[in-house]
Amino acid sequence: MNIQPIVQLQNLSKTIRGKQLIQQLNLDLYPGQITGFLGPNGAGKTTTIRMMTGLMYPTEGKVIIDGQSLKEHYEEAISKVGVIVENPEMYKYLSGYKNLLHFARMHKNVPKERIDEVVQQVGLEKRIHEKVSTYSLGMRQRLGLAQALLHRPKFLILDEPTNGLDPAGIREFRMYLRKIADEEGVSVFVSSHMLSEIELMCDRVAVIQNGQLIDIRDIHNETTSLYYIEATPSEDVATHLQNLDYSFTVENNGVVVEVNKENIPALISQLVQDNIQLFAVQPHQKTLEDQFLEMTGGGQIAEANSK
Amino acid sequence: MLKLIQNEWMKLWHKNGTWMMLIFLVLFIIVPGGMMKYQETKNAENTTWQEVVQQQMNFYKDILASEELSEADIKSFEEKIAIFEYRLANNVPIQLETTVEDFMSFASNWIMLVTLFTVILAASIVSSEFSTGTIKMLLTRPISRAKVLTSKLITVFLFGVLLLIVNIGVSALTGFVLFDATTNAELEMVDGKIVEKAVWGDLAYSYLLACGDFVMSTLFAFFIGSVFRSSSLAIGLTMFLSFMGQMIVSLLSKYEIVKYIWITHSNLKQYETGNLLVEGITMPFSLTVLAIYAVIFTVISYMSFMKRDVTA
Repeated sequence: MNIQPIVQLQNLSKTIRGKQLIQQLNLDLYPGQITGFLGPNGAGKTTTIRMMTGLMYPTEGKVIIDGQSLKEHYEEAISKVGVIVENPEMYKYLSGYKNLLHFARMHKNVPKERIDEVVQQVGLEKRIHEKVSTYSLGMRQRLGLAQALLHRPKFLILDEPTNGLDPAGIREFRMYLRKIADEEGVSVFVSSHMLSEIELMCDRVAVIQNGQLIDIRDIHNETTSLYYIEATPSEDVATHLQNLDYSFTVENNGVVVEVNKENIPALISQLVQDNIQLFAVQPHQKTLEDQFLEMTGGGQIAEANSK
Repeated sequence: MLKLIQNEWMKLWHKNGTWMMLIFLVLFIIVPGGMMKYQETKNAENTTWQEVVQQQMNFYKDILASEELSEADIKSFEEKIAIFEYRLANNVPIQLETTVEDFMSFASNWIMLVTLFTVILAASIVSSEFSTGTIKMLLTRPISRAKVLTSKLITVFLFGVLLLIVNIGVSALTGFVLFDATTNAELEMVDGKIVEKAVWGDLAYSYLLACGDFVMSTLFAFFIGSVFRSSSLAIGLTMFLSFMGQMIVSLLSKYEIVKYIWITHSNLKQYETGNLLVEGITMPFSLTVLAIYAVIFTVISYMSFMKRDVTA
């Protein structure tokens, strides 16, 4: 990719009391891209995000935002970042509007009109002057998004952003992120446990385990295409496929075959000719969940504790 | 920086507790004022001032004659008797009713309350951001941590000064509404001579001295609150030290070190009454020790706030 990355993590490491939580993390994030951040509990997602937002200081390595080191030029670098770390904790005794006013005052050049604009974008106009303590979790999430967008950040970090949103809200949220990524070239970094969400939302996923980045991959363009074929008798199917030199795996009542789209009709007629009863042939997409579990090797919680 | 203070000020006044503090402070001045006035009107007697002076003089003389007293007490009683004799001899009447000055000097005791309320704010202004998790929102802004902490410290002192102004203002107002200004001289003995007391000057001076404890308690609470992120610990420890301070000092009084801890000095009123907690300390020395501790508390607060990894 020829575009300059907006965020670069270089050899980012964090050691707390002798425990290495994050080891030599390298990651580039590009404008207009939504990157998902996945990892089992305790893998170091939150620690990484906290280091990217200046809440924690890296033991080694650095975070560079738009060409400026977060450590050396903190104020300038962070002014390009919008953040929601875990639940958006707002001042409950203030109204939603006053919360936004509070954060707007901490940035340069956020006029009152911008506050109204953001409020409208997240759809909170009707309740914005009520106290945050009366808000539902979903409304707080919206307010959290509003405060992160106030200063038109070039880079948006979201930790578990859809937590507490209703399905319509999630969809709206997803479309909104897509929109600001595409139209304004904002780079978005989303950590989430909801794999299906990440799958729908992201262009790329970074997977972290035990403090190490184990994979970065693009979603939506699998190199090999897989098809699921349900047919009986299954033994015959297997022998045929072997004879035709296709690699495959047995799954449920059928098989998953590695085959290019062009070759599908030929394969089907072959099987039909040989009196094999065909029930279904469909593209098989490995869900992100499968990939994720495959990469991280199951559910055990990582050794190191995130706190 | 102004905007940050504006933010802190806005958050402060949207908390119910802040208004309660203000209401308490006002009530603690007005209610006793009303009660004093009521008692006085009810017990109004027709006695001349000479009779009252004679009565009190006899009372002190009885004590002097009957009880074993310390030297300081004997001296103070003898001074009082001398003043009474002077009044009778020179026809200087005594004030029989409560005056504005009396009331205000009574209300000046509530600087204790001002200190307590300011300590509560100082203890919680940083720690509450941590306990509610809003610290994450506050520190991911293009504002250095030092500036955030400075705005909070300034807000604490602004609040303290506001309470002080309310304390003085309300007590003056209540005083002038309920009581009369003094018309008769207050007397005191200085270096063996009887002179007229500078009532207003004394009142201002006692407020000024009380600021020593006010500033030190506030800074200490701010320090504990921001280092340990626990407002209850900060309030508790500050209150403990201000109640038990004298006891701790007297326990340590054998050792030289007692001169170099701030609790020996924070009560500057000891120079007004003359009962020094420790022998051989002077006002400039006390002020120096307090200033050094003030700097230490502030520097540690800043260092810990700026270096800390935020995990809230």
